[in-house]
Amino acid sequence: MGKFIVRRLGFLVITMILVSIVVFAITESSPGNVARNILGAFVTPEQEASFLAQMGMDKPVWKRYLYWLAGSDTQASRKAGMDLVRIRTEKGFVEWWARDDAGTLRRWKLSGDDLVAIVRQQDGSVSTVNDNGRWRKNSGGSYYFWGVDNGNRAVKWEKGTDKTVWTFSLGKGWAESSGGAVEYLPLKKGFIRGDPGVSMLTGRPVADSIFVRLRNSLVLAGIAFTIVMPMALLLGIIAGLREGSLQDRVLSVGGMVFSVIPEFATGIFLILIFSVWLKIVPGATVFGELAPWQRLDMLILPVLTLTLVELGYVLRITRASMVEVMRSAYIRTAYLKGLSYKRVIFKHAVRNALMAPITVIMLHVNWLMGGIVIVEVVFGYPGLGKYLLDSAMNKDINALETGAMILVIVAVGTQLIADIIYTFLNPRIRYT
Amino acid sequence: MNSKEKLHPILIEMKKDLKNGAVSRREFLRYASLLGASAATVSTLGGITFPESSVAATVKRGGVLKVSQQIQKIDHPARYTWIMPSNAMRQVLEYMTFTDENNITRPYLCESWSASDDLKTWTFNVRKNVTFNNGDTLTADDCIFTIGQWLDKEVKSSLLGLVGSYLDPAGIEKTGEYQFKLHLKRPEIAVPEHFFMYMAQVVNHRTFDGDIKKAPHGTGPFTLDTYKEGEICILKARKDYWQKGNDGKPLPYIDEIRFIDMGGDLAPQIAALKAGDIDLIDSSDNVGPRIMKAVKNDDHIEVISVTTATTRVLRMRVDIKPWDDNRVRMALKLCQNREKILALAYQGEGTEGEDVHVYPNHPEYCDIPVPKYQPEKAKQLLKEAGYPEGIDVNLAVASEWSDVVRYAEVLKQDAAPAGFRINIQTMPSSQYWEKWTEVDLGITPWTHRPLGTMVLNLAYTSDDDGKPVPWNETRWVDEEFNELLAKASGIYDVKERRKVFCELEKIMQERGPIGIAYWMNLWLCPNKKIKNLLAHPNKYLFLKDIFLDG
Repeated sequence: MGKFIVRRLGFLVITMILVSIVVFAITESSPGNVARNILGAFVTPEQEASFLAQMGMDKPVWKRYLYWLAGSDTQASRKAGMDLVRIRTEKGFVEWWARDDAGTLRRWKLSGDDLVAIVRQQDGSVSTVNDNGRWRKNSGGSYYFWGVDNGNRAVKWEKGTDKTVWTFSLGKGWAESSGGAVEYLPLKKGFIRGDPGVSMLTGRPVADSIFVRLRNSLVLAGIAFTIVMPMALLLGIIAGLREGSLQDRVLSVGGMVFSVIPEFATGIFLILIFSVWLKIVPGATVFGELAPWQRLDMLILPVLTLTLVELGYVLRITRASMVEVMRSAYIRTAYLKGLSYKRVIFKHAVRNALMAPITVIMLHVNWLMGGIVIVEVVFGYPGLGKYLLDSAMNKDINALETGAMILVIVAVGTQLIADIIYTFLNPRIRYT
Repeated sequence: MNSKEKLHPILIEMKKDLKNGAVSRREFLRYASLLGASAATVSTLGGITFPESSVAATVKRGGVLKVSQQIQKIDHPARYTWIMPSNAMRQVLEYMTFTDENNITRPYLCESWSASDDLKTWTFNVRKNVTFNNGDTLTADDCIFTIGQWLDKEVKSSLLGLVGSYLDPAGIEKTGEYQFKLHLKRPEIAVPEHFFMYMAQVVNHRTFDGDIKKAPHGTGPFTLDTYKEGEICILKARKDYWQKGNDGKPLPYIDEIRFIDMGGDLAPQIAALKAGDIDLIDSSDNVGPRIMKAVKNDDHIEVISVTTATTRVLRMRVDIKPWDDNRVRMALKLCQNREKILALAYQGEGTEGEDVHVYPNHPEYCDIPVPKYQPEKAKQLLKEAGYPEGIDVNLAVASEWSDVVRYAEVLKQDAAPAGFRINIQTMPSSQYWEKWTEVDLGITPWTHRPLGTMVLNLAYTSDDDGKPVPWNETRWVDEEFNELLAKASGIYDVKERRKVFCELEKIMQERGPIGIAYWMNLWLCPNKKIKNLLAHPNKYLFLKDIFLDG
């Protein structure tokens, strides 16, 4: 069993790498301009170019993939010749700073032709000093410097080039400078080092928002799962025990009716009936900070929708499986050798009949986590599915990749659980 | 009248016009305020008063306002591309001027201003005794710094294209602790209006460092408590705001505002509005009658309507065949059955357009007849242009804008008799926005702008080299039109200006690159417990003097 689990984990890693490459490739090759998607149609060409450069989108795709996977800070640190560190400020902002030889944290900005260092003290306060000693000479006679700016990017500044720009700085007013930032490298530690980067859409670290979404989805999926699955299994078994009986007909037809209605229709009907007409439960989820347990009544309709959609499906699978088992020869044998009805059902029939539904149920955990976009959209529920959809629509690659990775983990994890459950249901199954 | 106040010569001219009825009261107010006359002067001069919003005598303090809004990424206010984030931050940061719902621009953080007779030198006086929420006092330095940020190429503000076209960094002069002068490259009347563009929020020059979230120091009535993109934004009232309420104590009346991100889909937001879980939907980047239709029969919700210059523009690329031929353009324009389009696409909730990008509430609007639906004439024109058998054309529209799709469908049907075989190409709006300036025939949404000159300068002119400006989606460059427009942008006398606009509009209708079938009304649909809410044609939210009752 231990070997089996190790093998499964290896399989998980390979799947994750493959999926991440595929997601990157698809996002890359699909049409769409990420700057315009995010900033809106009325961006100026300069804004667009600057956005893409500052997000590091002007780098080749393999480089961006590697940065996403393993981080860009080592390369940036080599360029700057200093250690780069990531800190979280008291207010909760993630910031990158360079540590100079004296051990103090620094960032830089240009003020005219002057390089100004922002030095961070132990207590979090900052002071500025002129830091022109750091300019390095280019072969062409101009100067350059690789440092960190206040946007968590490694930046290459130049001066003494042909390009002249006007920049405004405090205390000095307008000054003409000969250069400016020419290359950006957004700093991140990389997915395998626990930092999936910053969402291009929101500018927030993906890790900060995706775990909130994951929690919301877990709550919704968890509640729906604990209600649906026992109920569906129980009702399926009841229906399957007496094929053709009245209770079988009622359960089968009822289950079918709800599972064939698409979830958005079910959702909207439920909103119309319970929220608009009867006014007993809210028809949309409005989250404050403590969501989702702040207002549990807001979860009623989404859970009910999921229950109705899922129930019929799992119920019918369980029923079919149960019917098949009840017809099999060994059940008849069990009856004939005089076992009690209870014992035949629970000891012999149910255990075998559960194999198929368990597979389906485990596959559905994944669907409940990331695939219930429609339910989330109808109720305005801020779940993982909607997050993924928004990321995909906006080609927000860091967010999309991270979401995809979470779903791969859930998929492979639930499959592992299903495999383990099989061994309990059927002792003949052994994994070595 | 304040005898010390020097009146702009145009105002003295206009006063006569006001008397003999050549200028409406509203235009007089607008121009008087634009040119910096104080309310007292206007009332003495014109015998009229500024319309003041009537506030109930007794206001209630306290309470939390809940608004649904997509909490977007923000860093530099000058870089806003959507209105929504400006609406949240509008309660924290303020503007130098204020353009009200009637397109009248009034003093705000700048308490007065004046323009030289040639309109190339503008003097702005900054209001005294205004403090930022971190304790700093607002001075001319803050305004100069803010304008400097727009003009800084590194900041990449879209205001650079607008303000930068007439103002160089060197043209800003500090003339006192509370006064600064702008020396323009060319005359411009809309300077105070540009200071109210949604990305023109004044930042604190002492603390601002490129990311407003890290030092959210503004002069506004609220302070930023929490800003979580994609989730929630919480604002808390400050105690020492510079404006006082009706009860003599500082504004705002409410204690807290929560902007809650419910995603972009309207259905759950409408459901939450109806259930009272939110009080208002910020639909500033989302026009259309859907919210209004859904809530108009609801007893808890008020519907406030505004007529705006928001519209859908049927635009033809004049550098691509067949639209380079004005006869073909004219033929398609004649195929618009405007009454039917307005009724079917926007349920009659607007006014009919005249293929001219100036709407009746623009001050310089010149009355021009609405063209009739003439398929026969269109057919004739197409024949003359060399398409006797008719012509196949592709029309690009985005599927999310249902009224645009219906507009296209009606047009397709009504243009068939004239010989146009229109193939409607629907696509997601994100895809449309990616190539909105590139498609040869498409329908583009345009938002409200308070002045006719503002839109015409944005979309129907060329730059100094004669190349179309960035938002000139049709590439239409007409020399006569360009010259007239430049002339109009420097004329203050409304009568004179309108004369030029009559010509401009005629040119646009006769050989222009666009069809405009309807102007859209917009609505603000708050919960009735919100009192004193202002409906602005740009859907800007002003929450400093609202209060909650009931």
